[in-house]
This record gives sequence, C-alpha cells and structure tokens, in this order.
Amino acid sequence: MDQFKQKAIEEAYELIADLEASLLVLEDNSDDKNHISKVFRIMHTLKGNSAMFGFDYIAEYTHHIESIYDLVRNDKLKLNKDIFDLTLNSVDHLNLLLEDVNLAEEANKTRHTAKLNELIDFVKKINALIESGISFIDLDAAKTPKEQAPIENVVEPVKPVEAEIIIQSKVEEKTENIVVEETKEQIISYLITIIAHKEMLQLGTNPIFLFDDLAQLGKTEVYVGIEKDSVDFIALNPIQCHLTWNVILATSQGEDAIKDVFIFVESDCDLEIKKIADDNVFDKSDAQTFIYQILETTSSKSLLEFNHSFEIITTPVVKEEKKKAAIPTVKATVTEEIAAPVEIKKVEKTSTAAKDAAATSIRVPSERLDTLMNLVSELVTTQARLSMFAETSDNTEVTAIAENVQKLTRQLRDIAFNICLVPIQNLLTRFQRLVRDLSAELKKDVELYIEGSETELDKSMIESLSDPIMHILRNSLDHGIEMPDVREKLGKPRMAAIHIRAFYSGANVILQITDDGAGIDLEKVRSKAISKGLVSADVNLTKKDIIELLFLPGFSTAEKITGVSGRGVGMDVVRRKIMDIRGEVDVDTKPGAGTSISIRLPLTLSIIDGLLVEIDTVSYIIPLSVVDKCYAVEHSRIVSAYNNIIVLDGEQIPFYYMREEFNCSTPPPVLAQIIVVRYEEHRIGIVIDTIIGEYQAVLKPLGKMYKKQDMISGASILGDGTIALVLDSNKIIKRFGHQELV
Amino acid sequence: MGKTILIVDDSASIRAVVCFTLESAGYEVFAGVDGQDALQYLDGRKIDLMVTDLHMPNMDGLELIKVVRQMDMYKFIPILFLTTESQESKKLEAKQAGATGWIVKPFVPEKLLAVVEKVAR
Amino acid sequence: MNELSTLTSYLSFKLGDETFAANVSKVLNILEMTKITKVPKAPEYMKGVINLRGTVLPLVDTRIKFGLTATEFTVNTCILVLDIKIGDDSLQVGGLVDAVQEVLEIEPNQILPPPNIGSKYHSEFISGMYKASEEQFIMILDMDKVFSADELIEVHESSQSVH
Repeated sequence: MDQFKQKAIEEAYELIADLEASLLVLEDNSDDKNHISKVFRIMHTLKGNSAMFGFDYIAEYTHHIESIYDLVRNDKLKLNKDIFDLTLNSVDHLNLLLEDVNLAEEANKTRHTAKLNELIDFVKKINALIESGISFIDLDAAKTPKEQAPIENVVEPVKPVEAEIIIQSKVEEKTENIVVEETKEQIISYLITIIAHKEMLQLGTNPIFLFDDLAQLGKTEVYVGIEKDSVDFIALNPIQCHLTWNVILATSQGEDAIKDVFIFVESDCDLEIKKIADDNVFDKSDAQTFIYQILETTSSKSLLEFNHSFEIITTPVVKEEKKKAAIPTVKATVTEEIAAPVEIKKVEKTSTAAKDAAATSIRVPSERLDTLMNLVSELVTTQARLSMFAETSDNTEVTAIAENVQKLTRQLRDIAFNICLVPIQNLLTRFQRLVRDLSAELKKDVELYIEGSETELDKSMIESLSDPIMHILRNSLDHGIEMPDVREKLGKPRMAAIHIRAFYSGANVILQITDDGAGIDLEKVRSKAISKGLVSADVNLTKKDIIELLFLPGFSTAEKITGVSGRGVGMDVVRRKIMDIRGEVDVDTKPGAGTSISIRLPLTLSIIDGLLVEIDTVSYIIPLSVVDKCYAVEHSRIVSAYNNIIVLDGEQIPFYYMREEFNCSTPPPVLAQIIVVRYEEHRIGIVIDTIIGEYQAVLKPLGKMYKKQDMISGASILGDGTIALVLDSNKIIKRFGHQELV
Repeated sequence: MGKTILIVDDSASIRAVVCFTLESAGYEVFAGVDGQDALQYLDGRKIDLMVTDLHMPNMDGLELIKVVRQMDMYKFIPILFLTTESQESKKLEAKQAGATGWIVKPFVPEKLLAVVEKVAR
Repeated sequence: MNELSTLTSYLSFKLGDETFAANVSKVLNILEMTKITKVPKAPEYMKGVINLRGTVLPLVDTRIKFGLTATEFTVNTCILVLDIKIGDDSLQVGGLVDAVQEVLEIEPNQILPPPNIGSKYHSEFISGMYKASEEQFIMILDMDKVFSADELIEVHESSQSVH
C-alpha cells in the first residue's frame, strides 16, 4: 500500500486543483449542477482514497465537506457564500494536510483541530436544521437561529478501517484432504432454505459458489427442488431462476458465519436458516431418514416429480470433480470432511436420488453385465449411424426420432455404466487384514488408513487392481517401513502409517498408496541396476530415471527372497497389470520420509464423450472431460509462435502442433483450431485442423500391435464406418517432455 | 486461474492499488477511468468480473452497471461496486441496477481478493 | 471342422515376385482393400487400422516386414485377416498381400527344410519350402513369427538405453 501513497498524494493535488477550478465557476454561478456534482465527487474521492492510504486526517476532514455537498447536490441545501467560503478555505487546509499528512508538526496539528472543529460545528448547525424538518435549507434566509438541541451528528466521524464484511477464509484449492482446523466447539445442524428470486442469476450470482462456501463451514448436503406452484416448463425462461435449495449443514461456526455466505444475495432470495439439531445430524444412525423427514416439511417439490424429463447439465465450476449421475439428479452432494488429526477412516456415503435410500439390490452374474455393456456399446455405435443418417435426410420426423434415440441411448449408457461401477471399498478393506497380519509377522507397527473408499471404479478393473496393490503394500511393509526401534531413533513415531487414498481427478480415478517409511534407497537401486547390466555405470541418471529402473523386468533389490515379497513379482508386473486396464503407475519417494505410489485409472473403459476433430483428413477424438476450451487461430500465428507458446485470453499456453508431430503432408487450413486441454494443473493446447463436433465414442482398443503407440489410446468407429483415433492428451504431453511446462 | 477483471474508477491511485493487487494474484486486469471509458473493454473479450466505483464523471457506476447488464455477452458476469457508504440505500440502488456484491472502501488488498473470490472462481 | 484336413491346407499369396504360403488355420478371412486409417508415429510396416465389422483391426504391410518396398495398391491387393499368437495371447492382425492365389494341399512329407545361410529372407520366419513345380518354390511362413518378430527387434534395441 505504501508504494501507492505517493501516487495518492499526487492525485490528491490534482483533485484539489480541479476543485479550485470548479469553485471558480461556482463563484459566479452557484447553481451549476455540474460543478456541484464535481465538487461532491472530488470530496468523495479524496475521502475514499485518503482512508485507503492511511491519511486519516484528510479523510476525516473531507468526509464532512462531502456530506455538505451531498446535501447541496440533492437540493437539500443551498450553496451560499458561507458554504462557498468554507470550501475555498478547505482548499488551503487540504494543501497543508497533504504536505504534512500525519500532522507531525505541532502547529499543523493545532491548526487542523481548529479547522476541523469549525467544520464540525458548521455541519452540526445544518444537521439541526435538517432534524427540524426543513426540506431545503437556505442559510441566508435563516435569520433566527433555532434552539439547538444537543444532537448527534447525522454524519458520523469517519471510523477507522474496519472489516465490514466478514469474508470467509479464501476458498482453498481443493485437495482430497480438506484442511479445516479441528474445532472443539459444538457442531449444530441447520436447515438452510434458499428460495431464489427469478432474477438471481441476472445479477451475476453463481449459486454454486454459495454451496461451496457453505461446504467450507462443515459437512453439507444440498437438495435442489422447485417451488411447488411455480413453473410451466414449456414457457420457462431459462435466464430466470426457479430453483429452491434446501441445504443441510453441520457446523460449529454458528449462524452468523452462515449468514455471511449469503451477504450479497440477501435481497435476491428468501433465506431461512433453521436449527434442526444440537449435534451433527450426519452422525446419527438414521441420518438419512431424519434428513428426509426434515425435507418433507419444506415447500419445494422434488424435480423428479415433474412430468417432463430433462437433463441437468452441471457446469464444472466447482473444483471438486462431480461424476455425472445417470438420472436427473435431485441431489448434488457437496461433501467435505472435517479431518480429525489422527484417524481418518470412514468416509460418508453418497446415496442416490429419491426416498428409498435403503434400496433393495439384486445379485447379477458378471457375464450378464458384460453382455449388457457390449450391447450398450453396439447400441451407441448404431445410434451414431442413425444420427448421421437423420442429419442427411430431410425428414424432420426421422430427425426428431433420432434425437430421442440419442437421448435415451445416452441415459441408458450412463445407467449401464453406473451399474458396473463398484465402490473401491470392497477392494481396499481386504488390505486391512493383510497389513495387520504382515506387520505382526514382520514385528513392525503399522496402521493402514483408507480414504475415499466410496470412490467408484468399473468392476472389471477392481479385480485387476488387487494383485498390484497387494504387491505394493508388501513392498512397503517389507522394504519401506522401518522397525519400530529404528523409527524411534530417527524421531519418527513408532507406529508407521500407510495411507491408501482414492479420489477422482479429471477423467481418472487416482489411487495413492503412501507410506512414511524410509523411502527408496536410490543409490542402492542404481548400483543394483548397474550390477545387473541394466544400465551402464557412467550414464547420468536423474531421480526419475532411477525410479524407472524399478520397473524393469527382473529387477529386485531384495538380498534374499522373503516369504512376504516373493520373487519375480516386480514392479514391472505391477505396471503391466495396470497398463492392461489402461492405467498408469508413478512412484515418488523422499529418502527418510517415505514413498508414494500413484495409480491413475480411466473412469470408464469403453464409452467416452469426446470431441471429434480432424487433422489432415484423419478423424481424431479428444475426451471431452479434459477439454477446457477451443480457440480458432490463424495458421500463420501457429507457425510463427516462438517456442510453441501462444497467448490465448491473456494466458501463455504451450501447444503441440499435431500436424508437425504427425508429419502431415497436405496443406494446412488457413484457420487452425487449438483445443486447450487440462493435464493436472497445466493447460496445454493441441492444434488441429477442424472441429467436427461432439461424439459419443465407443472405445475399441488398437490392439497389442500398437502397444508401443502412446499418443493414441484407442479407436472408435464412426457412424459412416470410418475410424477415428482417440488422442490421449496426457500421454501426448508426457511424450513430448514436460520440461517445457513450468 | 486466467480470469480477467475490469476495474473502473476515476481515481488513478485506486486503479493502481487494485490493478497491482489483482495482477499479483494472477488475474489479468483492464482498467477504465469512468463508465464511458470502460465500455471500450466490453468489446467481446472475455471479462470474468467487473469492479466499479459508483461516483465517476461521464458515466457513473450505476449507469455502467445497467448498460453492462443489457449486453448479451456480459449479462451474467459478477459485478462488484466500491462504496464508502455503509448505507443500505446505496447498496440497494446498485443491486437494483444489477450489481452482484460490493466492496467497502477503504479496503486492504486481502479483502479485495477475498470478495473477488467470493463471486468469481 | 476336420482338424486334420486344415493342418495340411495352405493358402498361397504373392509379395512382389515371390510366392509364399500360410497355413489356413492362421487365416481367418480374406478381405478386399478397404479404407485404411493411418495411425501416426507408428513403425513403417504398420500401415494403420481398418474397420472389420465393428472391430478395429491393425494392418501390417507385409512387404515392408520382409524388407521389400511398400505395397503398391492394385486391384489384386488383399488383406489377410490372421490369427496370430504372441506369447500367451492370440490377436487378430491384418496383413497386406499383393495377390491371393490358391489353397494348396501339402502333406508334411512334402515340406522341405528351410534354407539357412545365404537366404534372402530372415530364415526364422520360414518354416519350410514346398516345391510347387520345377521352377517354383513356395516358402511356407510361420505367421506367428512374422508378425510378432518386431517385438524381438524392439526389445533388443531398447535394452541398450534406459528410458
């Protein structure tokens, strides 16, 4: 702020010069509205700026003059000679104040106090007149001064800088662990009913931010509905908001904190905050029933009760990834964990829509599911052909039917996938036993923590993960985690911790297995690799290179084959098994601190929503889930860009010019398209020729012959029988080196 | 990040502080000296948030907000206004013109950023 | 199908001027030329992929595999859909050939041992030779080896450097 003080002072001098100029005009014509406004504005600006930059004396002084001119410009007070002279005098005083902003000199201080009091008295006089009910004050006309009753200043002296809005702490970048201070205060549960006014959205409000902010206060569940008597769907005006939200929130931060979230929208909705329990309602054993009972008492109508079917498209404004539900969602779950410092075991469940939370379930043989999935895939392909046909035919009925078929197919696809999705929980809980048994056998003290067990994966992938994770855990227990005595000597807690975290990231599920053991001994790895002839001794290896050595077949640093780790089941097998389900494995380690192994898996194996594009007459598909934005750029800009970086929307985006990478021979189009995709926290542009449109791609593997092909992760057959190749944006970026990415 | 903010204020030092604070936090900032001047930046480029003072020459804040809410492209962007008044009337007036929220002057840089985050992410 | 009879049936085809034969048990289908989608950044002998009734089939230019110049597409060019075993897995691969000829019945005792030294082609691909006529010898190919051969070559190369 200090660097701007000088600038503020300079500006103040300028403003005062403007003030003088305006006063000169007003001297001859005291009715000039323009200049009265100007004077007001100048005082207003001076006051505001002075307060900003800490010139409190000036702020105080100008505040009063501003209020005087506020009255003048609103025709409540006549600008007479007294006021004019006072203003002119103030010019001098302000100049003085600017020279000695903090009134360091005693003489100045005295003078200021005098001037200020003079001003305040004047204002008091005027206020008295206002209080007495005069609508237009003409001081010249007031011959008989009225009895002045002791009056409070209508205009108050400027208060020191105070935060008026209690802003919630900045919304943190969401990670799978939410950092919320552990609180010992009582958690109270509330029902927050928000009935949006129609124009809410037109005021630039994004309701989702409100829910995010509420979620920062504690565990939150949001239920959306529509006011019972509201809307005719056909006549619906989409820019109006007809939604009602009922939010169940459990927080210890009190009602005021909740109110603060809504501070800007108080006038744009009907807000009601009602306490529903003196404890955390989510911890109740019959939580769901209790909540539904509460919701029954609200006036809004569940969306499902509408006759018209429709899809809710949720824009990815929130940082937490939300999976698209199969059925139009009645409830969007925004959940946060209040992490207790020690045990982070159980995680809340996400239940599906409607009242039958404890739904019945049936057992289905896996083969039937496989058949179902295959049929769904075929249906998607055939439907694509139908759509293509419908587009070229002029028959509107066919087009309408084709659209319907597309909608239905999409829903069927989503539901079918959901059926095949299984929470990772089953897989992970069996490892508790493993860790317990092994740690006992090895006489080590280890605790396994599991987070995100409700994260769902395609059931076919779950089984394939069992062995790799088992092996990783064994490695960790056997080689990574030290004996309790050793740990104690190192200043570590005797009890070692292994964390398995599962969470969604983009179009992937990430499984992270972290231990706080000794980490990987990189030197040992290196020497072992050298002794096995896997790498020559004089080659310079980065940390990443050394870690990669672990994945070479036949590699094992175990001196003896323990019964635990076994033999020959090296990280190469782990990686291969994971690559078989189109996943990736990465290892990171910190000597002395521990090792972290990340397994990245695709959410669905077979059908993805993609963006169909063309490069050199060949069709490609980019998964929509990673696509951020598309830009049209002149081809010449691409070619002339330095270091393959282009500025889009003010941001520097590195890009890959696919024509170049693919060695395309045909002449490029004049206008190229850049698809900006997200990879971890980076945004990268992929330059292609043309965008054809969105496309539901049934993924077909390229086969083992293209196993080494790492930029194309599969293919899809288009409606007309041609093949589109699926671009794996993550791999493209990795392949061309992320040293370019800062 | 990559969000773009348009700040409109007739005070050069306020513009300077706001620009500095926002740019340091990673935002791209355009600055207008009054409502009229601000319009040149509403030319179809991406603007994710507008912060405007209310009292300005040539076109004041309320007028600007109303104009912006008429523009198809910027109809729904969050708009914050700067106010030194804590009076309800001003806030209500601005909201009626179409503002999303407000920042009270004087403000410290952290508060500016917090309010920005509140309405634009 | 009679196992015994298929074991002795061979399909002969031409690559350039030479005639080769493959056991019919390896040949699932013969296709006419169809649109090939090129997969970029792939080895030269990988021509691309084709749509085989809803399956994506990788296509190999057999000529390039054999060290010949690339296939020039004529009206006779065909694609053999082959059932190849690589390790424990079997997969389908398409192979481009210049022309398909006929099915020959060749008894095991008619098969001559493959040439070793001085042979124009890598001898490990050839499982035997058949004398079709006085002037013509047909090389019987071990299709598994032909189409998985690159695995070996590549592994050898990559073990020299780490990543």
